[in-house]
Amino acid sequence: MDIRSQISMVFHLDKCIGCHTCSVACKNIWTDRKGAEYMWWNNVETKPGTGYPGKWEDQDIYKGGWEKKGNDIKLKGAGKKKGLSNIFHNPHMPVIDDYYEPFTYKYLDLIESPEVDDQPTARPVSLITGKPMDIKMGPNWDDDLSGTPDYARNDVNLKNLSPAEQQAMFQLEKMAFFYLPRICNHCLNPACVASCPSGAIYKRGEDGIVLINQKVCRAWRMCVTACPYKKSYYNWHTGKSEKCILCYPRIEAGYAPACMHSCVGRIRYLGVMLYDADQIHDIASADKDKLIDKQLDMLMDPFDPEVIESAKKNGIADSTIKAAQKSPVYKFVKEWGMALPLHAEFRTLPMLFYVPPMLPVMASITNVDNTEQSKKLGDISKFWPDNWLYDTSTEEFWGTIEQARLPIQYMANLFSAGNTEMVKLRIMKLMAIRIHRRWKTVGDISEEKARQVLKDVGLTQETADAIYYLTSLAKFDDRFVIPAAHREHAIEMMENTGDVKGSTGFGFKQDTAKRGL
Amino acid sequence: MITGFSTIRRRFPVLGVLTIFLCIGSIQNASAADPGEQVFQNNCAGCHSVGGGALVGPDLAGVHDRRSQAWLEGFIKSSQSMINGGDPDANALYKKFNQIRMPDMSLTDGQITEVLVYIKAAGATTGTTGAQKPAKKPQKVATKEDLTRGQNLFQGKLRFENNGPTCISCHNVTNDAVIGGGVLAKELTRVFSKMGGTGVRAILGRAPFPVMEAAYKDKPLTETEIFSLVTFLQDADEQHAYHNPRDYGKGLLLSGVIGAFILFVFYSLLWLRRRKDSVNQKIYDRQVKST
Repeated sequence: MDIRSQISMVFHLDKCIGCHTCSVACKNIWTDRKGAEYMWWNNVETKPGTGYPGKWEDQDIYKGGWEKKGNDIKLKGAGKKKGLSNIFHNPHMPVIDDYYEPFTYKYLDLIESPEVDDQPTARPVSLITGKPMDIKMGPNWDDDLSGTPDYARNDVNLKNLSPAEQQAMFQLEKMAFFYLPRICNHCLNPACVASCPSGAIYKRGEDGIVLINQKVCRAWRMCVTACPYKKSYYNWHTGKSEKCILCYPRIEAGYAPACMHSCVGRIRYLGVMLYDADQIHDIASADKDKLIDKQLDMLMDPFDPEVIESAKKNGIADSTIKAAQKSPVYKFVKEWGMALPLHAEFRTLPMLFYVPPMLPVMASITNVDNTEQSKKLGDISKFWPDNWLYDTSTEEFWGTIEQARLPIQYMANLFSAGNTEMVKLRIMKLMAIRIHRRWKTVGDISEEKARQVLKDVGLTQETADAIYYLTSLAKFDDRFVIPAAHREHAIEMMENTGDVKGSTGFGFKQDTAKRGL
Repeated sequence: MITGFSTIRRRFPVLGVLTIFLCIGSIQNASAADPGEQVFQNNCAGCHSVGGGALVGPDLAGVHDRRSQAWLEGFIKSSQSMINGGDPDANALYKKFNQIRMPDMSLTDGQITEVLVYIKAAGATTGTTGAQKPAKKPQKVATKEDLTRGQNLFQGKLRFENNGPTCISCHNVTNDAVIGGGVLAKELTRVFSKMGGTGVRAILGRAPFPVMEAAYKDKPLTETEIFSLVTFLQDADEQHAYHNPRDYGKGLLLSGVIGAFILFVFYSLLWLRRRKDSVNQKIYDRQVKST
């Protein structure tokens, strides 16, 4: 057993309202620079949709992630032989048109225009060439566009859905979508790290944050293709690649990352996980249907004395172990079994987990007589002569899951490597908690039924209430349990602090990275 | 020269009138020298002498006895057209003097008359006194350094002082020291035995070929440069039998073409694997573009 600690995350998709506040917070702090304009370390995608960059999930195009070879795994598009043969000419590299050409507007023209007959306009200019341009695409061009032929119907996750199922998804009045916010997964088996010919990418020992050393990066851009989530971006101005740094300067200071801190829907949770690093190779090369179960097995119980002992042997601080015991991520992922990793089949063992969305609310329409109800309306009220009810209080509690607007198979392609049972169980749990809370707060469901539903999914009333609390009422410190950084320990592992004592602490900052090798 | 001039007048009173005219011309020019002589020195002396023996072209002493005045005028104006026109004397000369054509001089009719007058007069003088023989320079002995310098100058490893173009850009010499000279102009391996030191020196001093003349206009070679080059060419000529640089001939060109073709195929194969369009290309194609 080789216990290490990892800062891990849960995104509760049922709560995401798709406001992009996270993306803007991240952009303002980190990527509002020349060469980084097109980078969205955090982005929010509409699903079904092609995402950003276009069709990033299609590894036939980009050759990202790992593939199983016998009992081993190999990088799909990089590694020793493939990497060397493609090092000067990587055919799977995304081009700027796969992202979009970043632009701004000449706002000053609005202010400085002389008085003329027509309204002055602010022309768009490219942030790459500086010349006027036609805007062709943006990072969330398909926002809220479910059902469009270009985006939703090209979603890579529709691949093992029957044509009938696909058609049903895009029927008028049945169309649905949800949001998928994405950041770097800070994987346990990161393909970007494995692919880098310069050895510039590393996973921080103390918290597992994956970083690119800007001084070592030599612009090979192998990480850009190797990351199956396309979360490593090449800065054409500095000639270095960049990626989400999980706001490590904030984390070290005890703050939540900017995207999480700013989240309006409070969908994001962050905490420490203790995992067994000995198992990484076994799990990453496991069969596809066992991948997720095995990955969850690798995440260790922070209360287990054996785990704590091994963690201490590895120099994990007591404060970190304590944080792991209080971790909301551990509760969602392991204790309650509510969250799943995104695209586990890429075999990078992502450490960002998603609670799959139950919405849009699943309900049935029943015929009722609305005349009595309509009589109560005032004279100026809008009157609909409908005689039906949008009924969520169905007798057949689980029946509606099968009839969900977004087919279970689609969700399974996203969150459970195609295993429908796994996603179904998570959605049933979400539903069971709703039914339980409905019995408690509204009371139109009998206690007997509520208990039965919880029993079906293996939850008790206490855990259901705890889940409800962490989902809906949790305070800042419940959602973000950030361990003390202990940078002093990490630094002392790398260098003798005595060497710099008396020689640093005052002077000029180093220049930012310049292009060139 | 003044003395020479008076001698002419005494010996050929017939030409007296003409000479007076010429004198007026020279007075107007405020120049001491005979205009005919000036023209000769500027345009002809590179290849011809009067009574000094054949250089690149024939010795012109007594040329009036051999040819008519009209023939001479025509030949100076355009030797090329006379040779091409099938004039037997012109063709015989052409063959005799190594088939080097005399370049068409851009001289006016007046200048041609002047220079002929000068040649005739000078030829007559040399006939008796030999005073017109070009003054012999003290013979300089070529050293090994001169040879290396000449080699380097020929190949352009050393620049000419006045920035003239390098010999190798147009000429070739079969010599182990020289790799692949130009093919635009004459091959110069045997030029020394063909023309002799004086001839080569004369051409280098003032090239009688239009292209070479244009190339070295305002960029003349210096005395030492000419000496080094002549030394090198002489050595190359004498040693040519022992020199046998490898000649790739057309093989060099062919291997280049084949190599380029192979690279082209290789890169095309690489290109085949590359994605041709962005994943969004269909969307872009459909969009309306502003002009």
